[in-house]
Amino acid sequence: MIRIDGLTKRFGDRTAVDDLTFTVEPGRVTGFLGPNGAGKSTTMRMILGLDKPNAGSVTINGHGYVGTARPMREVGALLDARALHSGRTARNHLLCLAQTNGIRGKRVDEVLDLVGLESVARKRAGSFSLGMGQRLGIAVALLGDPKVLLFDEPVNGLDPEGIKWIRELMRGLAGEDRTVLVSSHLMSEMAQTADHLIVIGKGKLIADIGISEFVRQGSNVLVRADSQDQLAPRLIEAGGSIQQGIDGSFIVTGLEPRQIGETALAAGVVLTELTPQRSLEQAYMDLTRDSVEFHASAA
Amino acid sequence: MTANIADTVRSEWTKFRSIPSNVPILLATVAVMVGAGALTANGASKNYQAAGAAFDATYVSMYGGFLFAQISVGALGVLVVTSEYATGMIRTSLTVVPRRGRLLAAKVWTFGVIALVMGEVAAFGSFFLGQTMIGAAGAPAAELGQPGVLRAVVGMGLIWALVGLIGVALGCLLRDTMAATTVVVAVNFIIPIIGPRLMPAAVGDWVTTYWPISAGLQVTTTVHHAERLAPWTGLGLMTAFTAVLLMVAFAVFRSRDA
Repeated sequence: MIRIDGLTKRFGDRTAVDDLTFTVEPGRVTGFLGPNGAGKSTTMRMILGLDKPNAGSVTINGHGYVGTARPMREVGALLDARALHSGRTARNHLLCLAQTNGIRGKRVDEVLDLVGLESVARKRAGSFSLGMGQRLGIAVALLGDPKVLLFDEPVNGLDPEGIKWIRELMRGLAGEDRTVLVSSHLMSEMAQTADHLIVIGKGKLIADIGISEFVRQGSNVLVRADSQDQLAPRLIEAGGSIQQGIDGSFIVTGLEPRQIGETALAAGVVLTELTPQRSLEQAYMDLTRDSVEFHASAA
Repeated sequence: MTANIADTVRSEWTKFRSIPSNVPILLATVAVMVGAGALTANGASKNYQAAGAAFDATYVSMYGGFLFAQISVGALGVLVVTSEYATGMIRTSLTVVPRRGRLLAAKVWTFGVIALVMGEVAAFGSFFLGQTMIGAAGAPAAELGQPGVLRAVVGMGLIWALVGLIGVALGCLLRDTMAATTVVVAVNFIIPIIGPRLMPAAVGDWVTTYWPISAGLQVTTTVHHAERLAPWTGLGLMTAFTAVLLMVAFAVFRSRDA
C-alpha cells in the first residue's frame, strides 16, 4: 500500500505537484492518469525518495522508503527503461542491481526467463529494441519480488504483443495481492488494465475513482424520441442529466444506453435514435481539459 | 537479511568491470605510466651529472609516466559517477539503494581500492623498469632498500588513489563527464604543472609548494627540497583536500534531487 499525504513539489516558481493526497491499495491495478506534465513522474520519483517533497509525506507499507532494510523487497520500479549503461550486458545490468540487496545470480536468471530475455542475456543492453529495453526495465522491477510496483508509462513504444504482455503481467501481479501503480497519459490503455484510477492535472488531484464508476459517469448518449417532453423527466428521475442537442435531440449523461432504453420502454416512448457519443478518452479529456499544460492552438 | 554496504560495494565492482572500456583503459594507463616513465627516466639519466645531488632516480622513474597516467585515472574516477547521470542509471541505483551516503561511499571505496591497487602496480612497474634504464645509461640507480625509496614508490600508488577520488568527488558535484573531466585536468595538471610557468613567481612558487597534487607528490621524492613540504606533510595536505572535496560531494549528493 502506498499512502500519499499532502504531497507538494515546487521547481522554482512552478508547482509540479500540488497538495496531492491519495492511497494506492493492494490487490488491484491503479492507473495513474494525467496529461503530459501533470506531475505523474515527479510523484513517482517522490514515492521512491529520488526527489524530496517541499511538503507532505509518502509511506510505503506503513513506513518511509529510504530507511528500509531491503528496499528491493519493498518496491520495484520501472521509471525509464532507457536509463542504463548501453555497454553493459542485460545480465550484468540486472546483476549489479541485484547485488545491492544481496539477491543472488539465480534470481537474475529467473527474471530474465520471466520477461523472455534469457536468449539475449549476454548481449549489450544498448543493442536492445525499445520493447526489449522495456522488458529489461520490468525485469529490474521484479528482481526483489516486491510488494509494491511502480510502472511509469510502461507501454510507451511497445508493439501490440508487448502491450498485451505487460497488461497481463500487471493484472497477474495485482492478483497476487501486490500494490500496482501504473502511470499513463492514455485513457484507452488504462480502461483495459486498471481497476481504479487516480487522475491528476497540473499537479492536483482531479479524480480518485473506480474504473466502472468512471465509465458510467463518462457515458454520453445522443437520444431522439417521439415524445421528448415525456421522456426527459423520467431520464432525470433515473439519474441522468440532460442537455438540449441540435434538431430536437438531447444528450444524456450518466446513464448507459440500456438504462435509457428501459426508461423509454417504461414510459411508453418510442426511441428513434440512441447513439453513445463519448468515448472514455473523451470523458478523460473533458476531465483534464482545464489542466493540460501544453495545448496545440488552432491555427 | 538486511542489505548492507558490502552488498553495495559488490555491486559497484560489478558495475565497474561490466563497462567494457574500463578494464582496458585501466591496463593501458598502467602501461603508459611504465612506458612513459621509462622514457623520461632514460632522458633524465643522461643529465644526472648536471643535476648532481638533486638527481632523484626514484622520482624521475615515476613522475614522467604519472603526468600522463593521472589524466585517465582522474577521468575514470569522474566516470564512476557521471556515467550514471549521463544514462539515467543513477535513478535506478538510488531506487535500489535509497541510502545515498551508502551508494556514494561504496563508489568511493570501490574505485579507491581499484586505483590504489593499479597505482601500486604502475608505481613498482615504472620504478623497476626505470631503474634498469637509469642503470643502463650509466647513472646511479635507486634500490628499494635505500632511505625513502620504498616510501616514495608506495606513495605514488597512494597518489593514484587520491587522484581517482578527486575525480569521483568532482564527478558527483558536477554530474557532467566533460565538465568534471575538464576540472580534474585543470586541478591536477594545468594549474600545478603548466601554471607556475605562466604565473608571477611568488604565486607560482606558492602553487608548487601548496597546491594539493604538488604537495602530495613530495611523498614520491627521495631528495628533499628545503622550500617544499616534507613527504608525509605534503601527502597529508593532498589527503585533506581530497577529504574535504568528498565531504562536500556527500553533502550535495544527499541533499539534491536525483
